[in-house]
Amino acid sequence: MKTIEVQGLHKSFAEIQAVRGVSFSVEQGEIFSLLGPNGAGKTTTISMLCCLLRPDGGDALIMGHSICKDPMGVKSVLGVVPQDIALYEDLTARENLTFWGKMYGLRGSALTSRVNEVLEVIGLADRAKDRVAKFSGGMKRRVNIAVALLHKPKVIYMDEPTVGIDPQSRRNILDNVVELKNQGMTVLYTTHYMEEAQELSDHIGIMDHGEMIACGTHAELVRIVGELDRISLLVSKLTTHTGSETMLQDLRGLPGVHQVDLEDETITLLVADGHQLLPAIFEVAAVQRIKITRADVLEPNLEAVFLQLTGRALRD
Amino acid sequence: MSKVFDIALKDLTRSLRSAMALMFMFGIPLLVTGLFYLMFGSRASQGEFNLPRTRLVIANLDTDAPRLQSSSGSVPGGIQANTMSELVVNVLRSEKMADLLETSVVPDAASARSAVDSRQAQVAIIIPNGFSRQFADPYGLAEIEFFQDPTLTLGPGVVRSILSQFMDGLAGVRIVVNVAMDELDPAEYGKVAQIVQQYLDTSPMNEEDLAESLLDERLATKPESASQQNARSLIRILGPFMGGMMVFFAFVTASSSAESLLREQEEGTLQRLFTTPTLQSIILGGKFLAVFLTVLVQITVMFLAGRLIFGIAWGALSSGIIVAFGIVLMAASFGIFINSLLRDTRQGGVVFGGLLSLTGMIGMMSVFAMNAPEAGNLGNTVSLLVPQGWAVRGILQLLDGVTGTPLVLNTMVMLVWGTVFFSIGVWRFNKRYG
Repeated sequence: MKTIEVQGLHKSFAEIQAVRGVSFSVEQGEIFSLLGPNGAGKTTTISMLCCLLRPDGGDALIMGHSICKDPMGVKSVLGVVPQDIALYEDLTARENLTFWGKMYGLRGSALTSRVNEVLEVIGLADRAKDRVAKFSGGMKRRVNIAVALLHKPKVIYMDEPTVGIDPQSRRNILDNVVELKNQGMTVLYTTHYMEEAQELSDHIGIMDHGEMIACGTHAELVRIVGELDRISLLVSKLTTHTGSETMLQDLRGLPGVHQVDLEDETITLLVADGHQLLPAIFEVAAVQRIKITRADVLEPNLEAVFLQLTGRALRD
Repeated sequence: MSKVFDIALKDLTRSLRSAMALMFMFGIPLLVTGLFYLMFGSRASQGEFNLPRTRLVIANLDTDAPRLQSSSGSVPGGIQANTMSELVVNVLRSEKMADLLETSVVPDAASARSAVDSRQAQVAIIIPNGFSRQFADPYGLAEIEFFQDPTLTLGPGVVRSILSQFMDGLAGVRIVVNVAMDELDPAEYGKVAQIVQQYLDTSPMNEEDLAESLLDERLATKPESASQQNARSLIRILGPFMGGMMVFFAFVTASSSAESLLREQEEGTLQRLFTTPTLQSIILGGKFLAVFLTVLVQITVMFLAGRLIFGIAWGALSSGIIVAFGIVLMAASFGIFINSLLRDTRQGGVVFGGLLSLTGMIGMMSVFAMNAPEAGNLGNTVSLLVPQGWAVRGILQLLDGVTGTPLVLNTMVMLVWGTVFFSIGVWRFNKRYG
C-alpha cells in the first residue's frame, strides 16, 4: 500500500524554479530518503508535503489525503521534524511536549501518559522539568523529534535531523529512525549525507536543481555507474598538453580501464578494480614525468552515482 | 477552540518568565513612580515637614468694584472683605494659607509678572479691573490671570488647586443668587440672603467654616496632620504621573508581546505550529489573545500597585474597569498592528525605540502640562493625536472622579482606535501567512 504518492510537484519563487515536476511514491513502513546537495529542492518538497507551501502544480496524497484539497487531513496523520530545532527554549521539556501534544489534539490523561512515554523513549524523563535552553544540542534534537511522535503519526517527515550534531547524538537519531520503521511508521527522510541515506533507506530519491534525477533502491542506483570503480587523479600544473595526451593514451591501454577523461587538472578513470590498478597508473605517470599530487579511488556508491549523473560531487 | 487558550497561555507563561519583559511590564514603571514618590513622599512623611511655601504675588486692579452687600459675618470663614476681589486676596492671605503660601500684594500687573520673571515669586495672580462687577453680572465672565514660573509644577499646582476650589464655591453661590433673583418677586429680594444661607447649610462644603472647606480638602472640618496634607497633595500629582507611566509601558509591553509572532517565525516554531492540525485562524487568534492577556495582567497589577503602594485613588471600580478595558484593547491592538508592519525582530528594536518613545511622549503631554495652563490646552489637544493620549485621558478622568458619558465616550474612542489597529494587523498577518 502506498502511503505517500507524489505526482508532478512544481514550486517557483519569483524567477527561481525550486521544484520541477518531482514525482515519487513511498510504501507503508518504508524509509524513503531524499538525497541531494544544499539547494536541491528537498526542503521545498517537504514543505509542500506538510502543507506549509502550496504547490504551483501537481499534487500529493498522504494516506489518501490530498495536500491541495485536504491539508488538515494530511496534518492529522503526519509528524514533522523540522531541519532546525523548533522548540520553546524557555519552557521545560515536559511543557514543550504537553503544548505540542495539545496542538495535535491530545488532552487529559491520554496526553499526560503519552508525554511520559515519549520522554522515556528519548531518554529525558529525568530532565523533564529542565528548561530546554539548558539542554545540549543533541538533547534538543531528541526533544525536537519527540514532538513529532506525540500523536503516533502514520507518516513522519524528518528534514535533515542530524545537521550540526555530535557523532553520538547522530547515531542515536539514526537508531531512532530505524526503530520508527520497525514500529510500522513510514519515514520520509531528507539528507545531504550519502552515508545516512545508504544506511537507512529502503528507497532513495536523488534530487538536484529541483528535479528528481534518480530514484530506486541502493542497489538499483549503484547499477547506474555499472559497478565500476572511479579513480580520480589530480595532476601537476606543469603538465604540458602533449604530455597529458600521451598519458591519457597510455592509461587507456592499461588492462581493466573502461573510460578515461581529462577535465582541467583532473583525470578520471572508470576501472574494474581501482586498488589493483593504482601501481600501474603511477608507473605510467613516472614514465611521462607527470606528477600526481592526489589519487582517490571511489567504489560504486551514491556519491559515485551523483557524480555520474551530474558531473559534480554531492558536497560541491 | 481550546487551542486558542493553549497558545495564549503558553505565550503568557513565556512572557512572565522573561526577566526583560517583567522589567518593562512592572519594574521600570514602578521604579520610576517609586523614585518620584521617594523624592517628595519621604519628605512629606517627616512629621513637621511641609511642602516649601509657594511665593505668591497678587495684583488687585479691581478698583471700582461694587461693595459686597453681606455683612462680614456672612462672608465665608468670617474673612473681612468689601469687594469680591478683596475677598479673593484676603482668602489667599489668610492665616489658614500661611503654611502653604507666602503671599504679598503688588500695585500693578507689571510688578506681579516681573516678580515671577525675576524668580522672587513662583506665581502671580492678577485680578483685572471689573472682576467683581463681572462676577455680580449674571451673564458676566469673571476672569483672573494666572502667571507662573513655567519650570515649576508643585507650587503653582497648589495655588491653582486652592484658587479653583475657592472660585468654584463662589460660583455656586452666584448661581444660587441668580436663580433666586429670577424666581422671586422684586419685593421678596430680601429673602436672597436667607436662600444663600440655606444653600451654604446644605452644601457638602459648608460645615462650620465655608472658607476652609472651599480652600482645600486638607483644610476641611476633619483635621489632618501637615504630613497627611502634604502626602495627599503629592498623591494628586503622583496619580497622573503613574497613570502616564502605566500607559506608556502598556504600549511597550503590547508591542513586545506581539513581537512573539515574528520571534516564533524566526525560531521556526510558528512554521511547526502550521504543520499541526490547527487552523491558521486559531493559531493567530491564540497569539493575539496572548497579547491582550499580557497587557491585562500588567494593567491590573499596576492599578493595584498604585493603590496599595502609593495610595492612589483610581476612582470607582466600575469606571476603572471600563478605562482599563479600553486601554488593554487599544494597546494590544496597537502592538499587533505595529508588528504586522515589520519584517523581522531586528526592525522591531528600531521601530519600538523610536515610535513608542515618540507617541508615548506625545500621549503624556497632557500629564506634563497639567500645571501649566497655557501649555495645558495645547498639550491636551496634541496628546489626543496618538492613541496613548486617549488612554492617558481616561486615567486622568478616573483620577478626577469623572463617571458616566464622558468616561464611556473616551473609552469608545479607544475601542475605535483598537478596532482599526486590530483589523489592519489581522489583515496583514493573514496575508503574510495565508
